[in-house]
Amino acid sequence: MISFIGRSVIQKIITLFFVSIVSFLIIHIAPGKPSQVDPMNPKFTPEMVERFQKEFHLDKPLHVQYLYFYKDLFTGETVSWKDNQSVLKKIWERFLNSLPLFIVGTIITWTLSFPIGIRSAIFRGQFYDRSATFLSYLLISIPGFFFAYVLIIFVVNQFHVPVIGMETFGIGDGASLPYIFMDRIWHLLLPSVLGATGGIAVLSRYVRSQMLEVEGQDYIRTAWAKGLPPEQVHYKHALRNALLPFVTMFGLILPGLIGGSVIIESIFSWPGMGRMAYEAILARDYPVILTVNFVSAVLVLAGTFISDLLYLVVDPRIRL
Amino acid sequence: MTNDNTLISVQDLKVYFRSGHECARAVDGISFEIRQEETVCLVGESGCGKTVSALSILGLIQTPPGEIAGGQIMFQGKNLLELDEEDMQKIRGNRIAMVFQEPLTSLNPVFTIEDQIGEAISIHKNIGSGELRDCCIKLLKDVGIPSPVQRLKDYPHQLSGGQRQRVMIAMALACDPDLIIADEPTTALDVTVQAQILQLLKSIQETRSMSILYITHDLGVVANIAHRVYVMYSGIVTEQGNAAQIFHHARHPYTQGLLASLPSRSKRGKRLFSIPGTVPNPAYKPAGCPFHPRCPHAIPICGKEYPKMCDYGQAHLARCPVLFKNSHNPDKPEPKSI
Ligand SMILES: Nc1ncnc2c1ncn2[C@@H]1O[C@H](COP(=O)(O)OP(=O)(O)OP(=O)(O)O)[C@@H](O)[C@H]1O
Ligand code: SF4
Ligand SMILES: [Mg+2]
Repeated sequence: MISFIGRSVIQKIITLFFVSIVSFLIIHIAPGKPSQVDPMNPKFTPEMVERFQKEFHLDKPLHVQYLYFYKDLFTGETVSWKDNQSVLKKIWERFLNSLPLFIVGTIITWTLSFPIGIRSAIFRGQFYDRSATFLSYLLISIPGFFFAYVLIIFVVNQFHVPVIGMETFGIGDGASLPYIFMDRIWHLLLPSVLGATGGIAVLSRYVRSQMLEVEGQDYIRTAWAKGLPPEQVHYKHALRNALLPFVTMFGLILPGLIGGSVIIESIFSWPGMGRMAYEAILARDYPVILTVNFVSAVLVLAGTFISDLLYLVVDPRIRL
Repeated sequence: MTNDNTLISVQDLKVYFRSGHECARAVDGISFEIRQEETVCLVGESGCGKTVSALSILGLIQTPPGEIAGGQIMFQGKNLLELDEEDMQKIRGNRIAMVFQEPLTSLNPVFTIEDQIGEAISIHKNIGSGELRDCCIKLLKDVGIPSPVQRLKDYPHQLSGGQRQRVMIAMALACDPDLIIADEPTTALDVTVQAQILQLLKSIQETRSMSILYITHDLGVVANIAHRVYVMYSGIVTEQGNAAQIFHHARHPYTQGLLASLPSRSKRGKRLFSIPGTVPNPAYKPAGCPFHPRCPHAIPICGKEYPKMCDYGQAHLARCPVLFKNSHNPDKPEPKSI
């Protein structure tokens, strides 16, 4: 067990090292230079560019630049080229903003997908299953942004509550605490629900097919032959096996913290991580891009690590 | 035909599977009975409907695509086909238990042996957890699993194939059922293990005085264990009788063919006989006698008329009027047994 964890951690660190090299190279191969960060800016004189290059070691060879960059990253000194602010601090703030959206969205997705998928499998081919199938294909095929606008218009017209941003602008002045709280909930709810719809549609299908596969196994027939009631056959014998692959998925949702929400965050002007990364790319703010990239890689590897550990716990066939 | 000590009697059972326009008549009107403390073998080639018959007894045919198209299954005064799901649950595992063909996949991989055996008991009996544990240990001991206490916490993948089948048998014995259906319990095992499992079932039948319906495609096994035998072909019973009658006086060309294809000492080194052709697709069965495309004794009428059961006395029946007529007509010599 301990040796498994140790091996796994070392493997992941090696992977991370290669990811850092590759992402660094890709950024440098990509067209555009830092000097073009804002070519329209009259303050960007050739002298400025020169000073800029010196300050960020851009005149040094690539491998030296690489070392400088990751030295700065690990000592927390990396700054954005755009506003000279600490990148880690920026990412942390945005991370805290993204977190509630991510958590609520994930909870909605997982708590709805499983009951829907399981019931569809148990009642396969019947009315419930057919309606669920129809709805999920509908949700999968409607583009997220379109659905978002329809929902925004509906909510704003029906309930007269503002939904853009993390809170209503200027609400801090003199409003009571419960009121501010409710305002935040409203602002959180819509983007979370929207972020979850696509996930529910896909995940519930996946749960259904997983469940159907398990229901056809020999040991399910054994369970019936023992005289177990249907609930025990479905929810104990079948579900426990059907859940195994989702344990792997559970670790892999972590990176969704960054990439999964760009569109939703943009539509709702939500100052989250995804939007920050997107804006950094447009602004060629390399330190931010590379740091976000590195953080995502860490999240992916941490996610797979968690999955491996969970699998150890839930699948008795995997023992070390 | 039903006497007092009949435990279960299946009469004219029909099970069809529908898909699209096709209707596969997997079981096409079979009748058999099992008496108390008796081991009955159901023998036939792959696909002749043995498993479907067994699953129908437990009410485990999936509908759709399956459909019980007729017949009745009388068990302890009740027609199982008319019971509702809840009453069937009280019979499954409790009065009639089943051991399946594949011990490797028939145990749930994520639960311990104790959990799976214990569940089979606690679902039908109201007993405390300490007692439940003792029951599990005793069952494992009864089926010959060494150091049963340690095995309780094991998962199926930690056991060998033979041990898993023993666990399956322990699970079937959990509630001391009246009937155990063993569906080719040794097919997936090594030859030596096969003999052990067979011996185990035989001794269980004797010591616990229960009935066993033993399903197999191997007539060789039958000689070892069966009191009485039903030979199935293409969803019907073609011959029935006690073990001696079937082995030494087979009256149906199909049974004779099966016997001829058994390996034996006297046939050592020679090429084994095998019945030419294959079992008909249950969706497209030939008219008349279903065996006639493969039968060495077939005469034109065999392809037209559905053969009747012919009585050879002493409860030995065979569904072949042609051989029956020959055996009772001294003018014609009895056809040579193949
Ligand atoms: N779920 C099903 N759907 C459709 N057809 C089925 C189904 N189960 C069984 N059948 C049909 O019933 C026929 C008999 O199957 P069955 O499993 O009873 O054969 P068997 O005698 O047990 O053979 P084996 O020795 O291979 O186990 C098969 O030919 C198959 O076509
Ligand atoms: S009835 Fe005819 S075809 Fe059928 S077994 Fe007898 S001889 Fe063969
Ligand atoms: Mg079978």
